[in-house]
Amino acid sequence: MTAAATDRAKTDKTAAPAAAPARRPRDLGWLGVPVTAAAGLAAFWLFPEDLGLLTRILATALYVLSLDLVLGYCGIATLGQAAMFGTGAYAAGIAAVHWIGDPLALLAVGGLAGGLIALLTGALILHARGLTLLMLTIAVTQIVQEVANKARDWTGGSDGLSGIDPAPLLGLFRFDMFGRTSYLFALAVLLAGLLVARRIVRSPFGLACRGVKEDPLRISAIGGSPKAYLVAMYAVAGVFAGVAGALTAVTSGIVGLDSASFSWSAEALVMLVLGGTGRLYGAVLGTVSFMGVHHILAASDPFHWMLFIGLFLMGVVLFLPGGILSGIERLGGLFRAKGGKA
Amino acid sequence: MFGIAVDGVAYGMILFIISVGLSVTLGLMRVVNLAHGAFAMVGGYVASYAAQTLGLPYAAALVVAVALTVLATLPLETLLYRRIYGHANELSQVLLTIGLTFVIVACVNYLFGPTLKRIPLPDALLGTVSLGPKAIPTHRAFVIGMGAVTLLGLWWLLERTDFGIRLRAAVDDPAMAAALGIRTERLYMATFALGTGLAALGGVLGAELLPLEPYYAIRYIVLFLAVVAVGGAGSIFGSAAAALALGVTDTAGKYLIPNFGEFFFYAALILILFRWPHGFFKGRTA
Amino acid sequence: MKPALLEVEGLSKNFGGLQVSSDISLSLHPGDRCALIGPNGAGKTTFVNLVTGVIPPSAGTIRLDGRDVTRLPAAERVRRGLIRSFQVARLFKSMTVREHLELAVLQRDGRTFRLFASVARVPGLADEVAGLLDIMGLGAVAATPVGSLAYGQQRLLEIALALAMRPKVLILDEPAAGVPHSESQRILDAIDRLPKDLAVLMIEHDMDLVFRFASSIVVLAQGRLLCRGTAQEIVADPRVREVYLGSRAHAH
Repeated sequence: MTAAATDRAKTDKTAAPAAAPARRPRDLGWLGVPVTAAAGLAAFWLFPEDLGLLTRILATALYVLSLDLVLGYCGIATLGQAAMFGTGAYAAGIAAVHWIGDPLALLAVGGLAGGLIALLTGALILHARGLTLLMLTIAVTQIVQEVANKARDWTGGSDGLSGIDPAPLLGLFRFDMFGRTSYLFALAVLLAGLLVARRIVRSPFGLACRGVKEDPLRISAIGGSPKAYLVAMYAVAGVFAGVAGALTAVTSGIVGLDSASFSWSAEALVMLVLGGTGRLYGAVLGTVSFMGVHHILAASDPFHWMLFIGLFLMGVVLFLPGGILSGIERLGGLFRAKGGKA
Repeated sequence: MFGIAVDGVAYGMILFIISVGLSVTLGLMRVVNLAHGAFAMVGGYVASYAAQTLGLPYAAALVVAVALTVLATLPLETLLYRRIYGHANELSQVLLTIGLTFVIVACVNYLFGPTLKRIPLPDALLGTVSLGPKAIPTHRAFVIGMGAVTLLGLWWLLERTDFGIRLRAAVDDPAMAAALGIRTERLYMATFALGTGLAALGGVLGAELLPLEPYYAIRYIVLFLAVVAVGGAGSIFGSAAAALALGVTDTAGKYLIPNFGEFFFYAALILILFRWPHGFFKGRTA
Repeated sequence: MKPALLEVEGLSKNFGGLQVSSDISLSLHPGDRCALIGPNGAGKTTFVNLVTGVIPPSAGTIRLDGRDVTRLPAAERVRRGLIRSFQVARLFKSMTVREHLELAVLQRDGRTFRLFASVARVPGLADEVAGLLDIMGLGAVAATPVGSLAYGQQRLLEIALALAMRPKVLILDEPAAGVPHSESQRILDAIDRLPKDLAVLMIEHDMDLVFRFASSIVVLAQGRLLCRGTAQEIVADPRVREVYLGSRAHAH
């Protein structure tokens, strides 16, 4: 290196103090899995009466996580995630009623179905943007719901699909009437989902998707196809959503039309944004707070719940655009700053 | 057959009156307003209260409902919507307006209760009018007439008035309009008022077809959005054509092929948007 | 002489009746350092867009390394080594400098559809990225999100990104635009360190920069190629004077 070059390196260092605090918040993300596991087990001991609700929360967290892959890491604003969730739930439910008993195989069926429908519809609609894309995702969900409604012989139509009775997990653990097996099974699946999702967002593929989110045209300029990444991530998220749907079907024993509804899509979006997008654990935190508060408030009057969540949502958009997690991060930053001064 | 057509057209006109308000605000302010259905619902409830509890005549209830809805929602424009105008904010728009919808649903339920509300029709709208050999229910004829008046009125407003010229200029090129001294803030406010006024009008007129209950705001918003998406944002005639097509096929579907009406509708929606992503009618002219 | 890397023949483009590029022929060989100059509206940007495949030509052929690429889409030309940098820095604001280069290298190698590999463990990636950072003098800011980078450094990253894609032909669209004159030397230094066998075409207004960079200069005027030559030849050419100082010539 020439003297001039070393000089330049020096001035670079002094000219760019911003280089120092470039730690990514996600680098602490590995903590999330043990923390989630510990919290999940603690809840198992603390609330043995509410395992049914808690199991639903865990499965929903996986569903919201699938939306984070699409929205938080690819920037696709969608109101159609329930199409994949519902497809996975119905596929697993129908398989369980007619052919398959093994719960893990049922999850695989759900994931496959969710991934396939996402791949097919994604390839068809992901050229669009903005309102058009929102409409297309809504339309896909409505079609899935309508098919489920009309295929009454298979799905039970508006009565819902019941009679899902999975075999013991791994041939060892029966799904007991207290829901203990269901809960621990759901917790294990969610943790596995978090690990896989974390792996994916840190992979070369995840990096490319973040690029597409920021500037699709620039991705074309380095020789990539933005739509290929979008469709691929949409399909991956479809697998996650499908597994979440299957998990709900297996643990609750029933699949209803609302699992493929517009409002279920919208609720996923609300939960994700409450927790914070693009962080994976935001999905878990958002789901737990949303469904927890829902459980408390909706018990008295569903409209109290709507008022609360509506005001909360507006508050988040106006004052806390990054969701709860970013609020905590900012608070943390504030404390750190104070500690530094003291 | 004739009855189906009349019902379909009347239903389409209601969809048009409500959706065109959404279309205009989307076209100008680029805001995906999921609370638009809630505004229509508020109009309907106010009219119902004015007519049933206060005993106002139908026409007066209609006017009061539209005026009150506009007055009640204008502060929302200043306080909330102004922060989320523009292309880049879709997600914030969706979330904020979902939140607003929830709040309105909860408030309406608190004030008026969860039961179905009616707006009693005056005697003048109860009979039938004869049209040559056929007879049409007067209420349907009235709705179709109001739809036509709205269509013509909007056309006149946008094509023939100073307001319309400014509005179209701002839609075509916001930066240029601002540079020419068009005060976009007041223009946005006026357009927002126009949009909610139309929503309220549609909510009142359509109470027979889209029954008033607290979940109205959530139940029908997908329909209104579909009309706008197919018609093209900001296009009056596009909205009219899309709404009428939707109204007629949906009504015909209910009578003729009751099992698959909705299915065909959304499949058609996907195909149309696949081919013309900016709406069927926008796609044609552009 | 080595075979040409880029050969443009009779390239033309009309928009409606307007001829914005007419019959441009140009070839670049390995090691060429060619500057494309011309007054505003001469059609420089259109020419770059035609060559890179952003807009289709009305007539003419483009050959890259001996193969006809005239009908290929832009992304495919990129994969074959025809790379451009942008006049206005177009970068991913929240991603770090290192992530930009990692993405470009992974994309070039077709490794971006690996879902379960870790970026940190892709063999050879870290070394190659370190090399690129070094060439452009960006090592100290490798972990900085691009949004908080000084503009001159963003321009350097633009060039580093182009370089990461292993170009055969590199088109630099005003690489020093928006950079203070005092700092443009750093960009020129970086360009000096580009691999020697590369063919580089630079579009530039700043004649100072052009004279320091270019071994040959091409002058474009009104969509036509006016002349090509060394710096001395171009300065001495009366037609070039006419184009740049030209109102007198048009007056009669």
